[in-house]
Amino acid sequence: MKSLAILFLGTAAAAAHPVSFEGAWQIMLGTSGDVQNFELYHSYTPKTAIGFHAMRFEDERDDDYFAALQHNWLLKRWNLEDAQANIYLGAGVGMAKEDGNSAAPAGLGFFRADYETRRIYTAFETKLVGSEDVSRGVTSLSLGVAPYKAGFEELNTWFIVQFEHVSGMEDDLEIIPKIRLFKGPYFLELGCSLDGDPLLNFMMHF
Amino acid sequence: MNHNIILSLLVAWLFSSTAAHAASDKVMTVKTTVDGMVCSFCAQGIVAHFKKHPSVSNVHVDLERKLVILEEKKGSTIKDDEITEYIKKSGFEPKKVERVSTAFETVKNEKPKEKK
Repeated sequence: MKSLAILFLGTAAAAAHPVSFEGAWQIMLGTSGDVQNFELYHSYTPKTAIGFHAMRFEDERDDDYFAALQHNWLLKRWNLEDAQANIYLGAGVGMAKEDGNSAAPAGLGFFRADYETRRIYTAFETKLVGSEDVSRGVTSLSLGVAPYKAGFEELNTWFIVQFEHVSGMEDDLEIIPKIRLFKGPYFLELGCSLDGDPLLNFMMHF
Repeated sequence: MNHNIILSLLVAWLFSSTAAHAASDKVMTVKTTVDGMVCSFCAQGIVAHFKKHPSVSNVHVDLERKLVILEEKKGSTIKDDEITEYIKKSGFEPKKVERVSTAFETVKNEKPKEKK
């Protein structure tokens, strides 16, 4: 039970960009502690994306897996003069295999809201995961600042602190300072939780 | 007398058609003001979409001035409706489309106006 909860820890950051521009493919790879995350989506409209989401959790005794087909919706976007705000929703249906048991049906749903200017970034995300035996929620809040306003073709740098809470676990609040870098279609996040777990997220679209 | 009038009309028509032809052959730069462009990673779609358009030879996104700058190919035009559609497909909101005869590189390198 605990392993599946940990399996979804660290996934909020990876799903930072659930829908991209129409016609885009986006790939997201992430690792946080013993968790690996892989997402591939195709945005078939500017407001909808469909794809594949898989995760693996490395355990001393066994590896746990989750794989699902996922659909993401951009419910609302506010394009303001100096800012952008978004509300997303996502749902996935697939299978989870945990602690050496046979695979069982599993589902995933998330809600995400974000607001950003060229200097300030905020995001809130809550994710619910359910399988036959386990139901868990992961909620995260991210706050970030950019030390400079980067141009379109320049390297963008952000300093972000992510607070992540997993329901039903002891020591369930993780604080993860991280640096976000992006240029062109490439996006990279490097961080480390206060507990010492390293975080790495890579994303690109094409 | 009649010959003079016909000749004058013919010359006037020749001049006007030549001028019109010259205007269409001129390389135009299109400046589109867009709201919501705060992140270069999110605005990649704008460049990806316009690069595929047969009438566009160059694209630049200026986050500071909130501008998408396009260079049209010689003798070719991208319609305003297409510009609006491409910006919306990229997830943004176009506000104003403006065509200028200033060279693309000059418009691209213009400094942003200081806010009062």
